[in-house]
Amino acid sequence: MARVLIADDDPDIRDLVAFKLTQNGHQITAVEDGMAALRAAREQPFDLVLLDIRMPGMSGLDVCRSVRAAPETASLPVILITARSQEGDVELGFAAGADDYIVKPFSPRELSSRVAAMLSRVER
Amino acid sequence: MIHLGFVTQALLFLPGLGLVLSLLITGTRLVRTYRQGRRRRLAAPVRAVLLELLCAPEDEQSELLDRIAPADKRTWKALEPTVAAMLGKVSGRARTALVLLYERRGSPADAVARLRSRSAARRGRAAQVLGRLRHRPATESLCRLLDDRDREVRLTAARALGHIGDPVAVPHLLESLHGKRTVPPAVVTAALTSLGPDAVPRVAAGLGDPAPLVRAVAIEVLGVTGAITRTPDIVRALWEGPETEVRIRAARALGRLGMPDGLEPLLAGLRPGQPVTLRTVAAGALGNLGAVAATGPLKEVLGDADPHVAGTAARALLRLGPAGEAALREAAVGRSDPRAAAQARAALAEAAVGSTRRVPVEVVL
Repeated sequence: MARVLIADDDPDIRDLVAFKLTQNGHQITAVEDGMAALRAAREQPFDLVLLDIRMPGMSGLDVCRSVRAAPETASLPVILITARSQEGDVELGFAAGADDYIVKPFSPRELSSRVAAMLSRVER
Repeated sequence: MIHLGFVTQALLFLPGLGLVLSLLITGTRLVRTYRQGRRRRLAAPVRAVLLELLCAPEDEQSELLDRIAPADKRTWKALEPTVAAMLGKVSGRARTALVLLYERRGSPADAVARLRSRSAARRGRAAQVLGRLRHRPATESLCRLLDDRDREVRLTAARALGHIGDPVAVPHLLESLHGKRTVPPAVVTAALTSLGPDAVPRVAAGLGDPAPLVRAVAIEVLGVTGAITRTPDIVRALWEGPETEVRIRAARALGRLGMPDGLEPLLAGLRPGQPVTLRTVAAGALGNLGAVAATGPLKEVLGDADPHVAGTAARALLRLGPAGEAALREAAVGRSDPRAAAQARAALAEAAVGSTRRVPVEVVL
């Protein structure tokens, strides 16, 4: 079981991701904006963070950069969620320190595999 | 002279009007919040099953569909916006499950019937649902909607046809570019592009259309979809086309297609005397083409009087690799043409900080 932080302003995606990962036995904390995500990442220990790139206020990219900049969260695995029309942001995402990305629309099964792969890579 | 009584009445009336308006706004917001809350409460139990359906393995989906599909009208009305939104957010088995849910509710047939509704909002909503469902049998009805009296409905129909992906829609989409009730070229281009390679023969038929806008859009779509077999037609459009807009699109398409046949017409498009926009686009396209043979002509226009042409040529040279870079270095230290030297230095500086990846090759006109 892993502790996963999800940040997405879209309640449909947030709930879907939370549901699928809970089904897989993970412990989920879901927030709806970047500031809340950063606060949660600093206050609680997580094994993985899933961030939507476009969020009001603080974007997923900004959160990713801040996570990487702080020594206590610098090694936290980050997966970005992006829309197909924003695939150009992926390059910026990797530059910000993200480890992987998922493009919307995605299948819950694919999400589950990506998360599992990332967690097993970290364990190794 | 203004009567004093009138002024007094007006002064009394204005705060009253303000109060009434404030009450109306607050009341509307309260009603909306209440309705949203009621819908959320109504949908909540079924929404949980919906999430379960989206995440379920194939053999469990049927049972979950049996639980959601019979929902009463009020509950479905509350849930449907989530189902419709989810259609655009999930793929694979989850998406198939949503389409099955709509089919069990009889929604596609209802939506096709609603395309004839008197209300534009209903027609538009129906077109949107059919597009999201990629309901191919609705293609013909949606094509008819491209001539709808409401502009938003026409736009939604065009987008829906793009989602559905039936090439039968191509001539109708091209036709919607002109006439009394039109669809904007950007929307038609996006719809035609999403139809993919199957639509190429029908799109290419648009190259013979008498309307320049239709030819321009057809060329753009062929370029974006990588229809390399149509390169000779596009070359002809650049050489022979009398309309600048068509020639510009042809130049851009040739750059995208990247075929060697594009070199000569693009070099001709770059020459002085041609329209500035065409020269700029041709310079950018030569960069995309990556032909080293373009190094000399691009270097020649570095000192062009038009900064768009010169700047785009400098960036294009960077894309040609070592030969282009060497040409820029030579121009940067040259004393005979200060304008060319400045453009070359600017492009080399951009490359040094790695910003060329962010800046489009064509200088914005």
